Amino acid sequence: MGRTGSALLLVALVATPALAADVEFHMSVDRKKVGTEDTFRLEIVVGNAPDGAVVQFPAPEDFEVLSRNQSTQMSYSIGPGGAGQMRNVQKYTLVMRANRPGKLTIPPAGLQTATKTYRTDAIVMDVVKGRLAPDTPPRPQNVTPFGFPPGFPFPGDPFGDDPFGDDPFEEPQVPRGEADLFLRASLDKSEAYVGEQVMLSLYIYSRMDLMSVDTVTMPKLEGFWSQDFKSPSELRPEDAVVNNVRYRRYLLRQKALFPMKAGEFTIEAPAADITTGVYFAGRRVHKTGNPLTLKVKPLPGGGDGSTLVGHWRLSRELSNTEVALGEPVQLRLILEGKGNLQSARLPELKIPAGLKAFDPETTDQTTSAQGQLGGKRTVEYVLVPQQTGEFMLPGITLRWFDPETHRWEQSQVDAITLTVRPAANGATAMGTGVGPGALDGPKNQLVAGGLKSLRHTAHFEAPRAALWSRPWFLPAALGPVGLALLLGLVGLIRGALGNTSPEAQKKQQARAARKRLAAAEKLSKAGKPSDFYAEVERALNSFLEAKLGAPVTGLTRAELDARLAEAGVPEPERRRLAAVFDTCDLGRYAPGMADLSSRQKALADAAAAMEGWS
Amino acid sequence: MTAALLLALTLGQYTPAEAQALFVEANDAYYKGEFETAQAKYEKLLEAGLGGPDVLFNLGTTHLAKNELGPAVLYLERARRLSDDDDIEANLAVARQRQGDQVVGAETSRPFLERLADALDERVVSVAFLATWWLGFFAWFVFRRKVEGRLVWGLAAGVLLLAGATLGAAVGVHAYVRHRVVEAVVMPATAKVREFPGDNGKVSFEVHAGLKVRVMEESGKFARIRLPNALEGWTEKEGLVEL
Repeated sequence: MGRTGSALLLVALVATPALAADVEFHMSVDRKKVGTEDTFRLEIVVGNAPDGAVVQFPAPEDFEVLSRNQSTQMSYSIGPGGAGQMRNVQKYTLVMRANRPGKLTIPPAGLQTATKTYRTDAIVMDVVKGRLAPDTPPRPQNVTPFGFPPGFPFPGDPFGDDPFGDDPFEEPQVPRGEADLFLRASLDKSEAYVGEQVMLSLYIYSRMDLMSVDTVTMPKLEGFWSQDFKSPSELRPEDAVVNNVRYRRYLLRQKALFPMKAGEFTIEAPAADITTGVYFAGRRVHKTGNPLTLKVKPLPGGGDGSTLVGHWRLSRELSNTEVALGEPVQLRLILEGKGNLQSARLPELKIPAGLKAFDPETTDQTTSAQGQLGGKRTVEYVLVPQQTGEFMLPGITLRWFDPETHRWEQSQVDAITLTVRPAANGATAMGTGVGPGALDGPKNQLVAGGLKSLRHTAHFEAPRAALWSRPWFLPAALGPVGLALLLGLVGLIRGALGNTSPEAQKKQQARAARKRLAAAEKLSKAGKPSDFYAEVERALNSFLEAKLGAPVTGLTRAELDARLAEAGVPEPERRRLAAVFDTCDLGRYAPGMADLSSRQKALADAAAAMEGWS
Repeated sequence: MTAALLLALTLGQYTPAEAQALFVEANDAYYKGEFETAQAKYEKLLEAGLGGPDVLFNLGTTHLAKNELGPAVLYLERARRLSDDDDIEANLAVARQRQGDQVVGAETSRPFLERLADALDERVVSVAFLATWWLGFFAWFVFRRKVEGRLVWGLAAGVLLLAGATLGAAVGVHAYVRHRVVEAVVMPATAKVREFPGDNGKVSFEVHAGLKVRVMEESGKFARIRLPNALEGWTEKEGLVEL
């Protein structure tokens, strides 16, 4: 039943002449305010155009036409009175973009028929600088290479899954004047930490047939450590819609970049030589892409390009935890994860002194999956025990910065003990009945050398200066000299004063005589009678010389007595003096007769003689 | 010296027991391989004025374990100036073995006065000088005043004053040598030595961390250094630390 009705309608369309209808011709835009970076749609609708009508599209200087599509709609309707009416509507859609800001006019479109020319109204656009429309990420879809020229086979992707299934890239801008074929570079992020991976991709966007890409010039990547991620030898197209324009997109290069330092980086525009066309009608064009900027943030808490960034795991494998002396063991340090493996620096393994370590062998295995570089580094040590005992291989901690969590993380392997037992032949070597070869087995090597042990207790000392540099040292050294000079000076002064007065000199001599008498008393007590009497005699002589003002030594008793008489010394005093001298002579020449009492008497007489004359 | 030590303990707010405990903690950190911690604790003691050959030796050895030859040689040499133990010499020998420079050629013989100063202990000589000097003058004074036994006092004064004068001369040699002979250790990994003091001076050779040199004179930011084989040149002072 339904089929029968459809067939009848088709017959009516063909058999019944269409009724004449008014020509419909108008033009509209999807929005009137746009940015210079925005695209908009201009739609020209032509309805019921007579045969031979030609549409004259507007050619505004201020706008660029990025693409043009045409669609046709036909409809049939029953009019009043039952007459059929055929309606044919052609719709032209132009994707356009303004070349400059301002109030810009799209001139009217025209429809030229045999009898008349129809014109639409002009449209005034309000164009501002920049972009008003929100970003609409493209939705690329892998397509079969239907309709593409030969020379582009499409093998399977050797790099596995497409990491950009939901395409994080910003929609590229169609460059002015290059709407059919352009080169675009992009980064998967606009900000990154030092050492964090940033993916640089370079694509060709084309609405033309491509024959080949001859050369690709990638920008210099100063400030980055870079590694090729994808570099397809054969191009593989995928659909992409840019600014509402459908393109075919070809991946040329993908590089994983690792910023080495913080700052704002500009990556220069890449370039490529592309041959378009098919077969022998090829044309070679040079296309330059777009520069890129990347803000590189410093790592929190410091770090540079050699700092490990990403996500890592450290592990350790020891082939055996108990071995015989001389039996080698393998120790593997394994670092694996995501990030720049080349910047990884494994912590130094502190090998105990009793183990001999050969140069380690390092193996790197780089991986790339899910749009992320990574890898596995294995450092293998061969350790040969040189001594028996238990050796602790200390734990190792590795720190890295995880840009996803924005935190420093760490992986740690615990300390492990390696037990070394004596070698079997070494143990039996002490026994009997073993061959000479057993004596050549590994021995427990006790080697001197290395750093001396620390002092376990301290005797603290304040920093000291040399004694001679202390401020008191020089006065202390010069002190005795100064004192001697002072005493000498005093003596000189006293001597000088004594010379000026004979009386004073006499008094001085008299005092000296009395001092001698005091010294004689000490000699008496010391049991030295001869010295005692000699001293008493010297004291008396000194006293008399001081009193008489002339030397008396060598005078006979008579001469002395005469001198004393001349000086007016009374007879009793002269006799007393003579008695003392006699006692002294007796004491000096017969010390055995000079007992303590006679010495005290002589001393008392001498003192009395001196005092009697004072 | 005791008073100075007591003052240091007070200022540094460490009792002797605390200082000893800090010293032991530093040792423990060293044996755990935590050299940075050990170094920090030894340096705390030094900052508190609690030095001495033991702290200096341990600090120098810690730097040596870290393969920091400049400070290692500096502290070990300072320890050697206070004590002449074998272990200091042994670790200094290890440092010299690791040091990057080989001084080629015969070492110039040191002047007599320097060798004399090295042979005599400064403190012993200084104390002996003061003692003999004062005793000598006392004996002389007694000799002048004494009536009996003057010969003995006179002889004693003569001997003591002669000895005092000799020791005084030795003290003078010490002072002269310490004033004139300045030794330093190269601290940076590499230091350029130029023909004359100035940034434009032609680089004659390079020296490396841990080399002990003699500072002959200074000019601006440069110092003229002499190696044991008499090789000389100018290098920046900030790369040298005096012993």
